[in-house]
Parts: sequence; C-alpha cells; structure tokens
Amino acid sequence: MTGRLSPLLGLAVALISAAGIAYQIVLMRILSIAQWHHFAYMVISVAMLGFGASGALLALFRGRLAGRERTVLWWGALALSAALPASYALSQQVPFETFELATQPAQMLHLFTLYLILSVPFFLVSTCITCAFLLASRSVGALYAWNMAGSGAGALLAVGLLYVAVPADWPVLGALTGLCTIAWALLGLDGRAALVRRPVAGGLVLVPALALLLAAWTPVRISQYKGLSYVLDFPDAEIVARRFSPLSTVTAVRSDMIRETPGEITAYPMSELGPLPEQIGLFFDAGSVSPINRFQGDLGAFAFLDYVTGTVAYRLVEAPDTLVIGPGGGTDVLAALYHGARHVTAVEVDPAAAGLVASGFSGFAGGLYQRPDVTLVVAEGRGYLQSHERQYDVIQVPLFGSFTAAASGVHALNESYLYTVEAFGLFYRRLTPGGVFVVTSWLKSPPRDAIKVFATAVEALRREGVAEPGKHLVMIRSLNSATLVVSKAPLSADDVAAVRVFCQARSFDPCHFPGILEEETNRYVVLSEGAVYYSAAQALVSDHAEDFYRDYLFYVRPATDARPYFFRFFKWTSLPRLVRGMGAAWAPFVEWGYVALIATMLQAGVASVVFILAPLLALGRAPAARGLKRWVVLYFALLGLGYMFLEIVFMQRFMLFLAYPVYSVAVVLTSFLFFSGLGSCAAGRLAARSARNVAVAVAGLAAVATVYLAVLGPVFEALAGLPDAAKIALSVAGLAPLAFCMGIPFPLGLQAAANRSDALLPWAWGINGCASVLGATLATASAVHLGFPAVVMMALVCYGLAALALRPMVRRERPGFGAGANAAVS
Amino acid sequence: MPQQSHVRGAGILAACLLGIWVVWGAGAEDTPGSKEARERMVEQDIARTGWAREGVKNETVLNAMRTVLRHEFVPEPDRGDAYADRPLPIGHGQTISQPYIVAYMTEMLGLKPEHTVLEIGTGSGYQAAVLAEIAAKVYSIEIVKPLAERATDTLKKQGYDTVEVKHGDGYFGWPEHAPFDAIIVTAAASHIPPPLVEQLKPGGRMAIPVGPPLQTQNLILVEKLEDGTLRRRSVMPVRFVPLTRGQAEAE
Repeated sequence: MTGRLSPLLGLAVALISAAGIAYQIVLMRILSIAQWHHFAYMVISVAMLGFGASGALLALFRGRLAGRERTVLWWGALALSAALPASYALSQQVPFETFELATQPAQMLHLFTLYLILSVPFFLVSTCITCAFLLASRSVGALYAWNMAGSGAGALLAVGLLYVAVPADWPVLGALTGLCTIAWALLGLDGRAALVRRPVAGGLVLVPALALLLAAWTPVRISQYKGLSYVLDFPDAEIVARRFSPLSTVTAVRSDMIRETPGEITAYPMSELGPLPEQIGLFFDAGSVSPINRFQGDLGAFAFLDYVTGTVAYRLVEAPDTLVIGPGGGTDVLAALYHGARHVTAVEVDPAAAGLVASGFSGFAGGLYQRPDVTLVVAEGRGYLQSHERQYDVIQVPLFGSFTAAASGVHALNESYLYTVEAFGLFYRRLTPGGVFVVTSWLKSPPRDAIKVFATAVEALRREGVAEPGKHLVMIRSLNSATLVVSKAPLSADDVAAVRVFCQARSFDPCHFPGILEEETNRYVVLSEGAVYYSAAQALVSDHAEDFYRDYLFYVRPATDARPYFFRFFKWTSLPRLVRGMGAAWAPFVEWGYVALIATMLQAGVASVVFILAPLLALGRAPAARGLKRWVVLYFALLGLGYMFLEIVFMQRFMLFLAYPVYSVAVVLTSFLFFSGLGSCAAGRLAARSARNVAVAVAGLAAVATVYLAVLGPVFEALAGLPDAAKIALSVAGLAPLAFCMGIPFPLGLQAAANRSDALLPWAWGINGCASVLGATLATASAVHLGFPAVVMMALVCYGLAALALRPMVRRERPGFGAGANAAVS
Repeated sequence: MPQQSHVRGAGILAACLLGIWVVWGAGAEDTPGSKEARERMVEQDIARTGWAREGVKNETVLNAMRTVLRHEFVPEPDRGDAYADRPLPIGHGQTISQPYIVAYMTEMLGLKPEHTVLEIGTGSGYQAAVLAEIAAKVYSIEIVKPLAERATDTLKKQGYDTVEVKHGDGYFGWPEHAPFDAIIVTAAASHIPPPLVEQLKPGGRMAIPVGPPLQTQNLILVEKLEDGTLRRRSVMPVRFVPLTRGQAEAE
C-alpha cells in the first residue's frame, strides 16, 4: 500500500459516490410512488443507517482490515453493483402498507425489513469509500475531490434520469448499476496484484447483470390504497399513457367508470343537461387523480361544473381574466371557460401533466391549451405569481390533494407552500380591485380542512392590513367539499344575494358571508354536530380566535412558510377526546402520515441500536478512556442530530424556492456533502487547538443560520422569477458557508478522541451514525410541530453543546492523527 | 384483523364499522341455515346497541333479517360463517355485506309494503332479498355479469319473484322503472350519482356510502323533500375491506 492515489481509484470512487447519491434520490421517488411522499425522508435515515453500520464495522475490524483494503474495496464494489438492483427488487416483495400500521402489528416488522433491505447499498457505498480513503491515506484531499465531484455528478445524473425514465424502470436502475460495475472494473485494472483471474472476473459481471434483470422484472409495489390500484380493478380500465418528470410519474387511465368531479354534483339535472363527458384519469404517482375531459368544442357539455361549490366564484365576477393554478387534466380551465372567462392562464407545475393535455391527448382534450383564450405556463404556481405583477379577476387555487389522500390524512407531513398565510397574501395582492381567489378543499369528519383554510385567509387578510376580514370572505359547503372565496373588495349586498341564490339552487349550505344567519347554515347537508363551520368562522373573524385554536379538537392554526404543513391536524391533547367520542371508530380520524412518521422514528431507533450500537457494545471495551467515553458519546450524538436537523430543514425550506422536491433534495444534499467535505478538509489543516476551532466554527454556523432564518423568506420572494439554473446556482452558493462550518467539528472531534485512545473511534462513528438516523426522522417530526426556526435553533443548541462537550476531550491531548478520511463519508 | 386476508374482493361496499367485526367476528357455528343462527344474528349483532353502534330497532327489518336464508347467498366455502357479523367474499372481488350494515341501511330507507326500491350493486342478492321481504318490488343492478346471473338464480330459487336483476352500470339507475320510493347503493361512490337523485320520488330516501374507495366513507341518507330540496345527512362512517387484484382474479 503506497498511500498515493491513482486516477483509476479516484475515478472509481467518483462513480461509486455518484451511484450512492443518485440512488438515494431515485429511491425517494420510488417510495413516493409505492407509498406516499413523506417516506422520502425515510430514505435519508436509511442511508445514514447504512453509513453508520459500515462505519461501526470497519472501525471495529480495523486491525483485520489492514492490508486488505484493496480486496475489500474490489469485492465491495462488485457487491454494490448487485445489491443496488437487488435491494430494490427485494424491497418490492415486502408487503408494507402505511394504512395498516395501526391495525396490523406485522406492518411494523415489514417496515423494519424494508429499512434493512434498503440500507444495504448504502452500507456498501460507505464501505467502498472508506476503504479507498484508507488506501490513499496520503492523498486524502485529492480523493476527497473525486468523492465530492462524484456526488455532485450523481445528483445531476439522478435528476437527468428522472426526465427520461420512470424511477424504477430498468434504464434508471441500469445506469446506476452500470456506474458501480464500471467502478469495479476500474478497480480491477488498478489492482497491482491480480485479485482474481481475468476470466473469473469476466464471469462475475453476471452477478450484477442477473440482479438487474431481476429488478427490471419487478414493478413498483403500489399500495392497494392508492387511487391507481383501485381504478385498475375496473373491468374496462386500460392504461393509455405514462409520462414522467422529476416531479411525478403520471399514469393515464381510460375507463367508462372514471367519473371525477371537483365535488358533489347531486343537484345536477343530468337527464336534462346530459351525462358527464368521457374522461381519462391522470394519476399522479399512482395516487391523486385529475381527469382530462373529452372536449369537442361545445362548452355546454360542462354544465355540470356549474353544480359544484368551486364555481360560486363566477357568481361574483363577470367575464373574468382567470388564473388557474395546477390545472392537472384541465377541469378548472373548462369551468372558467364555461363561465365566460375572457382569458385563462393555466400554470401547471408538472411538465408531464401539461404535456399530456397539450399534446398527448390534445385531440381528446379538444385542443384546450391551443385555444387563443387559454395560455399554458409550465411553472410552479406560487413562484410564477411572485415573479409576475399581473393581476387577475379570479385565481383558482387547486383542490387540495386528492379525495383519497385528503380523507386519510396521508398528507399530514407534506410541505405545501400553496396553502400558507404568505401564499394567501400573495394571491390577495395579485387580484384586481374587483377580483376573488378561490380555494376548495375536501371535507373530513369531524370538520378540519375547510376551517384551517378559513383561518389561513383571515390571518393573511389581517397581515395585508384588512381591518374586517369577515367582510371579504364567503365559504359554502356541500357534502364533500367546501369552497372559500376571498374578495379583494368588501362583499356587496348583491354579492351576498348571488351566493344565497346559488346555494339554494344547488342545495349547498353557506358557512360564512357578511350578514349570515345561523339558521341558514345547516339545512341541506345536515351535520349532527350542528353549524360547526359557521361557529368556527364566527370565532375566527372575532377577537377570540386564539381560544378557538386552543380548544378545537384538531390543529387548525394556519400553516406558514416556516411551518408549511397544512395537512397536519392531529393534536396529541385531543387523542383522549377522539377515543372517547368515537369509540371504535376513532382510528380513521388519525393522520396516517403522522403515524407512519412515528413508526419510522421507532424503526430508525431500533435499527440504529441493533446495527450500530450493539456491535460496539459487544466488542468495544476501552478501559483506558473510560472517563472520556461519555463526552465522546455526547459530542458525536449532538453533531449527528444537529447536522441532520439542518439538512432536513433546508431541504424542506428550499422546496419553496426550487419548486420541485427532487431539485431541493439534490441541491441541498449535494451542497451539504460537498461543502461539509471542504470544511472537513480545512479542519484537517487546523488540527491544533481544536476546541477553539470548533467553537469558532459553531459560532460561524450560528451566525449564518440565524441570518438565513431572517432573510430566506424575502430573498426567495425577490428571486422567485429567476430561471431554474440560476436558482440552483444561487442555492448552492448560499448553502456553502453553512455547510462548510458544519463540516469542521466532526474531524476535529474525531482527532481529539483518537489522540486520547483509538478505542474511542468506533464509538464516535457509531454514535454519530445512530444520531443521524434518528435525527433525520426527528427533524421532520419537529418541523411539523414546532416549525423550521425552532428546528434550526435546536440544531444550533446541539452544536453549541457539542462545542462544550469537546473541552474535556481535548485536555492533555496527544498530537498526530490524521482524521480527514473518516469525515469524508459522513 | 385476522380475517382480512381472505375477505378481499373489490368494488362492493363490504361496509363494516371499523373494528366492529373483530369483536363480534367469531360468530355462531350451529348448522348453517338454522333458525337459531339467524335469531342469534339478529339479537346479538343487529338489534343490540353496542360500543360505538346503534342497534337496529325496526321490527319489520329485524323480521326480514330473521326470514332470509343468508347462507343460501354465500358461496359454499364460507357458508359456515354466513351468520357471523362480517362481510364474506362472494367471488369476482366482491363481498356480501356484514348483516348489521344490511339491516341498518334497510332501516334507513323507511320502507313501506307498497314501495318500489332500486338497489345498485346486487352482489350476492342477499340485500335484495331482505328488501323484497318488506317492499312490493325491488329492481337491482349489478355491474359484474356472472354475479348478476348467479344472484338472479339464487333469488329465483329462494322464491323472490318480486326482484328483478339486470346487468349494467348502476350509475345511471333504471329510468324505465323510475321514480323509486327508495334507492339503496351498496358500492361506494365519489359522489352521489345525479341520475339516481332524479329517479328518486319526492319524499323518497336514498342510502349511499360516499367517500374515497377502500377507506373510510360516510354512509349518507339523502332525502328528497316534497319541494325537491335535497337534504343529505351523514349517518355513520363505514369502510371497505381492502382488496387485492390477485385474489379477485383467482376466485
């Protein structure tokens, strides 16, 4: 072992790093399709588990590993090539179901199994990279550059792949497997002593090839509770197209039994006005559905759209210039045209959906987006509004999620920057003097969604300086949907009369408008609880809103950009009331996304203890450093938590700026890795006086993070109109100082520990891994409950305490240990 | 939920109050079809008000439940469980609803002997038989053809001449025989089909589960008042038993 770096080794490490990061991103998309979006964060925790377990094992077996790094690396790369597709294929055999977590104990086991299977490739990535660092111990800096360049390229590659193929399809997995196999081949060429004979090596290629074949034959196991699974059971259902983007996979299904309406149409006289048009259902990530309606030029065929709550807006404005955010299959665009809109701007975030309506099924959709009075814009709605000053008479905000997902609370953990106080304020500012914006939500029992929408509007109007928000608001409800209309000007008596007439003709109940009487609020869809929506609205526009928030059964305080979890309704304090009130029927009222998160957190805890700590406990006796162990444990636990808190918070925060979750994940993950790596490298050179340096780094970190907390919102607003590439570049630059500081404490601590006793190193590694696994899920839970600023503060407290915990470790330290290698894989 | 794995089938409302049939699940094991089994079903599972559910009190409905031979509508392998208070698979991915739900929904309709009833989702034909015990005429629509044929046979064998079954899409109702005094829908819908509302007589009632497939739906009572006003009331949460395609095909 020379300790020098050959270009082949560097290239191999780059390829392996690329595959590792790309797989992490692709896996997030696969889990979003199979289950729901919130499992994306589980992937980070899974990766950390793999890294942690690898670190723990390698540290433990350092003695045995010495001199065999090349062999382990070579076999590790081969194993990785096979494990990557194989772990995907195996994971799809696990019959995990989010919805059954509470009723079937076996689901916990399934989730655990999933955790383990998915973490294997990350275990191998980490093992390979660590071996490479041990091999090139004298060129750590150069290898680091390869490592980081690979990671960056991997993130780009993942995003690129998601543009050309469905995440679980063979081209994507094939490309990642290919990278690993090439890396393995390069390592073989680099071998100064042949590891195996060439023909044998050639034959070994079959191993990843077979695994890939297996994976190619394994479709994503889509939860049976998702809309697509259900519709494919219709006797005449046929998949007619599939499109994909990094945002989602869209499956178009044709069946005569697809009859999607944006709410109840009970009063629609179908025998008089005709049946619903034929529809093609667009399923987003196999979950929520948005239909493309067959349009043959006659807008009269869409009379049914005048029988849903959402179109009450068109009773208040005439021939409006309309903006439809998230048109999906285009129903809201048709509704606007049916009601005489003079122009419709359709802002669609998903290029796949836009493409299907604009070209794929353009004939079916009657050339909807080719009409002179319709303009299609492919952009994220809020960013588009932010960056364009134009004002509209009507702004249609999309119906939240799907009926399916809404009812189950599976979105509890989804960030949604369209339904925050800040977003509502923006919609308000973009209205013409006589304009309205409209938000329709699906209703759940007991009531919560529509109440939170109303609360959000009241809060937004107050912030915009409206003295009496109640005079600008209309809310009406049907059996399953409620529509809120927010008017720029106070509503007139004529407006109120028009709403009354609409409600009566459609058998809808008003919940709020200026001058509403309680007796007109619970007549058509009779709620056993009484006029709940009316009372809630009354309370929210009054001075007693705080009392209402506190006492209400659900969490209905508005979401903000700092806590953009509109769908979080669950309140721990209400659980006893729920159980008492509902008896056996309480379970459906829990937010399943939330349950899944708690389950994930438990799994993460168990897995990290079993696979990281247990080996250490079994083998790690270090009598020489007994007094120090607790400080080492504390230090590295705090670093692990703090790091993950910041990483997850910034990923979620940057989603507002970068629009696509996958962009945000790729940019934040890569920037954090890269600049933390640089920080670690720099730390290697600052080895002396580590306690002071850590303190400086933590102070720098605290300063940068605090500034970000204050300015990120306005900065995102100001820069919303920039092209994606510029946004990405700015994000990377913005994250650099933060991540750089975050990279410093780890290697310095490692070195301080090593200076006292090498036996402390496995502990440092293991504890850090454990804390990272837990931190990833804990960060999400904390963000939901406390908001981003609180999580950032928690992270800073962790770092601050860590700086203190380092002091006892550096007293009487002995010099001379290079720590860069270990830091690189963290 | 131990029985879940074999109670899988698609499309029909295997409506069960969540968790309830776990408690009452393991039911009577006397000779299938014995009068005692039906009596026990009525007394223990249907009429009794229990934890989180309202017992069915209408004597006419309870008598109908005592009379109809439920086991005759259940395919052979599960006949032993015919009187247990839970849904059972009837093939083609469909299920026969839990007896309590059948009785509850029937009670909701407020049937009179002279009434004409429309049922959407014939399934096994059991619900139609219960309706026919009370009302004068029952029209029933089933989308799965083999099920429609089998239900027609079963009902004929059981002597229910006042039930007419057709194969078709229930969304559009049966305009030729409209209007109806009552309509009962035993398949969950995302919205109340307007054609059914139109085919309901003023003063008529409809029972329909509305909600997302496979999850908690609300059982809705729709009343068409004499002036045409539509009043909807959610009476209780009900739920589909989750189903898998594989099994549906295998059956």
